[in-house]
Amino acid sequence: MAHAEAYQDPGTPQEQSRRQFMAQATIALGGVIGISLAIPLVVSLIPSADASNDAWSGLTPAEVDMLKKATDNTPVKVTFDVHETNGYFGAVDTEQFVWAIRASDEEMMKARPDLFTGPNKLPYPVVNMGFTVFSPLCPHLGCRYAYIPAQKKFLCPCHGSVYSVLGVHEAGPALRGLDPLPLRDYQGKVQVSWILYQANTPAHVVIQVG
Amino acid sequence: MLTWLDQRTGVVTATKDFLTEDVPGGASYWYAFGSATLFAMILQIATGIFLCFYYAPSTSTAWESTKYIIEKVPAGHFVLSLHYWGASAMIALVAMHLLQVLLWGAYKKPRELQWIVGVFLFIVTLVLGLTGYLLPWDLNALLASTVAIRIAGNAPVLGPMVLHLLQDGDGISTLTINRFFGVHVWLMPAALVALVGAHLAIFRWNGPAGPPIDEAPKLKPGRFWPDQMFMDTVLSFGIFVLIVALSTFSPVPLDDKADPNNSVFVPYPAWYFMALYALVDIVGSLPPWMVQAASLFATIIGPTLLIVLLIVLPFVDRNPSRRLTRRPWVLGLTALIMVGAIGLSWYGQNNVVTGQLAHNLIGPNAVPTSAQTNAVQTAPAVTAAAPAGTSSAGGGGGAAPAAGAGASVYGANCAGCHGATGIGQPGVFPPLAGNPVVTGDAKAVIHIVTDGLTGNVTVKGATYNGQMPAWKGTLTNQQIADVITYIRNGWGNKASSVTAADVAAAGK
Repeated sequence: MAHAEAYQDPGTPQEQSRRQFMAQATIALGGVIGISLAIPLVVSLIPSADASNDAWSGLTPAEVDMLKKATDNTPVKVTFDVHETNGYFGAVDTEQFVWAIRASDEEMMKARPDLFTGPNKLPYPVVNMGFTVFSPLCPHLGCRYAYIPAQKKFLCPCHGSVYSVLGVHEAGPALRGLDPLPLRDYQGKVQVSWILYQANTPAHVVIQVG
Repeated sequence: MLTWLDQRTGVVTATKDFLTEDVPGGASYWYAFGSATLFAMILQIATGIFLCFYYAPSTSTAWESTKYIIEKVPAGHFVLSLHYWGASAMIALVAMHLLQVLLWGAYKKPRELQWIVGVFLFIVTLVLGLTGYLLPWDLNALLASTVAIRIAGNAPVLGPMVLHLLQDGDGISTLTINRFFGVHVWLMPAALVALVGAHLAIFRWNGPAGPPIDEAPKLKPGRFWPDQMFMDTVLSFGIFVLIVALSTFSPVPLDDKADPNNSVFVPYPAWYFMALYALVDIVGSLPPWMVQAASLFATIIGPTLLIVLLIVLPFVDRNPSRRLTRRPWVLGLTALIMVGAIGLSWYGQNNVVTGQLAHNLIGPNAVPTSAQTNAVQTAPAVTAAAPAGTSSAGGGGGAAPAAGAGASVYGANCAGCHGATGIGQPGVFPPLAGNPVVTGDAKAVIHIVTDGLTGNVTVKGATYNGQMPAWKGTLTNQQIADVITYIRNGWGNKASSVTAADVAAAGK
């Protein structure tokens, strides 16, 4: 304390009371500034709703042809555009893909009975128009898994989860099999719904549609 | 809890030490400017950090993300406005703080180094203002920064190198925005915080200077905490209220996106560079043989000398007395510079307004599609200046012509040279208001508009040598008729209307 002479004399009771007021007023004014600044700053971080995201994405004729290349349970990669908001770029078409296989209801019911009955039953058909399309995101933690033709398996590069071509979880840390996405023929147009499910849970918990 | 913390970190003791400080002669609101500047800096850092959550520096995202902040981010426009007005407040407070220390002779021994660090803080603050000006990447950002960069590029010897260094290339590009962003967001704030630390540490070593008298050290000391701290907080609070009010009622504008090919937008500098802007303008109107040297002085040598003068001041002014009456030279020079700066700023502001009027950016004939938003136009002084500018420069002084088809053709094609109010540009483009040729034979006017005009033209004794392009082919006969009717009946002019048939007939 190089310069603290003023603090040696405690001062008169009036001075002490005045100082107490000034100390409290300083803290109060500082608090008011802090709070009125913190509110807009924190509010500015609230994420905006992606209002422009469409629930269904249409497939172009070329993309439908891609889908039709799935003639058996050998997976085919089908790309399509998802219309979504990308910050200050506005609404843009982002390319996505799904894995499609040709499958029958009986086949899928046998391999993935939990998708048809019980608590994990999906609210939409697992097989439609003779196809099942899988979300390309690994249900473990969301990486994109690859198809390994030699083994006829799906393999996730991140943590090594392995799935059969029908999406049955066979090895690795994932807690459920691959997620089928809704596919439909809507007024003559083939459409897919891009659904993001919560990662690393046994149940299908929807985070976002579109 | 606090004891536990203090035993392990000493933070409570350090804070108490920091707040326990004598103030010679007692606390005073006069000593609160430094703290208020510090408060403004903290406000800038806080709001700046949050703007970084959205802002993206590049030619394809800078303007877009700024617009997104203004239109989409919750409270985004308010936070950006706080940053904008906070910048003005910080520069004003730094300037006031510097001026006060100067007037009170507080830079004298033993506080020379504290003063010099302060001068550097002043420079850093101005650099922050300058670099931040480019980031929104609107028309004004680009043009105002172009001027600043080109001025730096004119520096003797190092100029071209500085130009390339600032731009990171041959022109102002996406890399320039990144460069300014790096300087504005990382380099300068880091320098600012380090220099403020040094400034405060030296301040604590010497103690406050006290009032401008020679017996200050012998005055009965008052307390920093809570007495002075209270006054500091009250001033900071008042400034915060002012910034919030300005941000609410006059939020930051965003002009149209930067377009290097736009040649009618009149850029306006930030108010703290208005004096330099005016100086550039004044030296430009000097006789040609001295323009180059005078420009160099106004833009580079003068400001540099001023900074050098500030830095060496404590060593040049060795007179130990701090009494105002014993320091006529320093105070006289300061007063002279201040009067000059204020006068130049006033001149510069008038210039911006005149330029914007001439280019239809503001005023009664403003083109609604063009970038309208700027801080200058909202000032009440502008509305007052508009009619005055029209009557004195235009010579006609009549009411603005009714808006119509002719007005929009004129605004889009003619106002760039002849001015929104028909005042023309001295020596280059003749005025249309009060011009006898315009109100004379309609066929002659049609001929000039359709076929153009080159060579010297004399109107009311003044000569003009600009080029009038031929408009046939660009404008339809109807548009030409509309615009001629418009100029023959605007700004106090009174003459017959012209029809498309007249134009067609004249062309045969």
